Amino acid sequence: MANIATARIKREFKEVVKSEEVAKCNIKLELKNDSFTELRGEIAGPPDTPYEGGNFILDIQIPATYPFNPPVVKFVTKIWHPNISSVTGAVCLDILKDQWWVTSVFDYICLSFQALLAAPEPDDPQDAVVANQYKESKDEFKNTARHWTYAYAGRPTASAEYDSKVEQLKNMGFDEHKARVALSTKHWIVEQAMEHILS
Amino acid sequence: MNSEDDLFYNDDDSAHEMDDDDDDFVEMGIEPEPTSTNEKTDVEVFLYEVLTTEQIVQHMVDCIKEVNTVVQIPATTTRILLNHFKWDKEKLMDCYYDGDQEKLFLEAHVISPFKKTPNAKKRTTRATSAAVAASVQQEVTCEICYLALPATLMTGLECGHKFCIQCWTEYLTTKIMDEGMGQVGTISCAAHNCDILVDDATVMKLVKDPKVKLKYQHLITNSFVECNRLLRWCPMPDCGHVVKVQFFDSKPVSCNCGHIFCFACGENWHDPVRCMWLKRWIKKCDDDSETSNWIAANTKECPKCHSTIEKDGGCNHMVCKKCRFDFCWVCLGPWEPHGSSWYNCNRYDEDEAKKARDSQEKSRSALQRYLFYCNRYMNHMQSLKFESKLYASIRLKMEEMQQHNMSWIEVQFLKKAVDVLCQCRQTLMYTYVFAFYLRKNNQSIIFEENQKDLENSTEHLSEYLERDITSDMLVDIKQKVQDKYRYCESRRKVLLDHVHEGYERELWDYLDSA
Ligand SMILES: [Zn+2]
Ligand SMILES: [Zn+2]
Ligand SMILES: [Zn+2]
Ligand SMILES: [Zn+2]
Repeated sequence: MANIATARIKREFKEVVKSEEVAKCNIKLELKNDSFTELRGEIAGPPDTPYEGGNFILDIQIPATYPFNPPVVKFVTKIWHPNISSVTGAVCLDILKDQWWVTSVFDYICLSFQALLAAPEPDDPQDAVVANQYKESKDEFKNTARHWTYAYAGRPTASAEYDSKVEQLKNMGFDEHKARVALSTKHWIVEQAMEHILS
Repeated sequence: MNSEDDLFYNDDDSAHEMDDDDDDFVEMGIEPEPTSTNEKTDVEVFLYEVLTTEQIVQHMVDCIKEVNTVVQIPATTTRILLNHFKWDKEKLMDCYYDGDQEKLFLEAHVISPFKKTPNAKKRTTRATSAAVAASVQQEVTCEICYLALPATLMTGLECGHKFCIQCWTEYLTTKIMDEGMGQVGTISCAAHNCDILVDDATVMKLVKDPKVKLKYQHLITNSFVECNRLLRWCPMPDCGHVVKVQFFDSKPVSCNCGHIFCFACGENWHDPVRCMWLKRWIKKCDDDSETSNWIAANTKECPKCHSTIEKDGGCNHMVCKKCRFDFCWVCLGPWEPHGSSWYNCNRYDEDEAKKARDSQEKSRSALQRYLFYCNRYMNHMQSLKFESKLYASIRLKMEEMQQHNMSWIEVQFLKKAVDVLCQCRQTLMYTYVFAFYLRKNNQSIIFEENQKDLENSTEHLSEYLERDITSDMLVDIKQKVQDKYRYCESRRKVLLDHVHEGYERELWDYLDSA
């Protein structure tokens, strides 16, 4: 790995760890290996959003040409969000593409991710199914996103109705995650979800 | 040709550094033109020169210098301003002296050279602490690599953002090599949200790798060439030459690499058809939608087994060849209730159906017309591709004749014959594009006669060169070949002159619907 990249990551990492702003926003950053090519980020779901109470793990890959090229970031924690793929966790964010600046730092990236959780942009979707739901029924979207936060990101409270529907399909022998995806896609109608899985 | 160019440029550098373009051309006019023999008659009246990448950089620098003799600002600021005005010197001058200069600098994203200090202070954001630290301790942290370095290793632009030299070099290299320079060929300061552009001198100073330097030069001249109506890159891949003309026109130009192309549109030289129609034609051919339109208009799916059925006659009573289902072409319903009389589809409005049938007929005949011209166009294009084979066989013939006591000069008529054949094929190819968009009138009938004559004479020449030549006595060949190619040349001239005259006298009507 290039000298500049390593030196920069080391210093940046140190500053993020002691930064007050970062602590205030519930952002954590840790190294995944000694070669500074991979980081693990953790962001808290912003208050007054369906993601509140959840903790989301980010996988951050540092290219050898960092910081002249941006890091590649994706969600490890499964999340229901128009701009994040519910399948791969891939994110489409301009600050990691053409709006990347060599002086952008990790706290800025993490804060931008939190901002994205607080304000989805359904017109520039990464996940078409989620984006459609967001546009057609905001309530159903919110409930579904909240349910996913409970199921995957450690949110304490849950929707009893959605839980029981997932449980119902699970008891019929379907995989829990597959059942959840199908229900989320098919407006939480059990029959349609079943058909969706079987087709 | 090269020695001429060198002479011209040395001369230019030493004596006429500040001369404007027109003087260059007067000089070029005195010198014999670098032309290919093929298009000599066309080229003589149209003056142009072929420049290398280095020469085009020099040309750009001269252009900047010229403005700078009037406008006293740094050269790179001028380049950015000229870029902003698409290299229109007059427009830049007008705006510079008549308008709000500060607004102009702001719009072109360049710091005003007259307001360095106050602006730099105001624009400094994150760099402030670094700058203050520099004056106290002489050691500064680079905001990119986070290394604490002596202030002497830090550098930056007028905006006040400073980074270490190594980081600057890496940053610029990444931008240049990863196509990060955008359309106008500029790089902005590395600081977050700072839109101040890096000037050329700084780039050339900070980038060390000659390969990166060359790419940068190419990128900055690219916008210079593309904004300048009097310059065009040779369209051959990896050629890198630029053709410079005296005035913009649709004329053939011959590059140093041997490629002859239309200066106005960059396509192969396409007389007699004009650039606009050729462009339309190429788009039409590329779209390939014609064929799919025909399929849409003339085939349907069997409503029962979904196999594709082509309508072959006027009758709407269709029988699927596969499942033997009887149905109506118009409404796709079963044929049974339609009765036995011709066209009695009760589910379809009679007029609507008639309209649909007419438009189907129209689209079919339009397609047939297109295919007629397209086939002939493609045929000549295909034949042109075989030219290299003919050149090879003719070369053998020339060697054979030289062994029979004919001199090298004496046998050149054979090569000339193939040259003429290729010219005629190229002309013919484009006559079909011209004809496709042409509305029938008295002149178009004359044109078609000329086209037919050129077709016939060209085919005679082609046939003779490819086949009959072997059976003739060597002594007879020269006379026969010369007669044939001279006749072709004259027919080609007649056709082109007639079309050109038609352009001048506005005798041609065009079909807009084609
Ligand atoms: Zn640095
Ligand atoms: Zn700056
Ligand atoms: Zn060329
Ligand atoms: Zn043209």
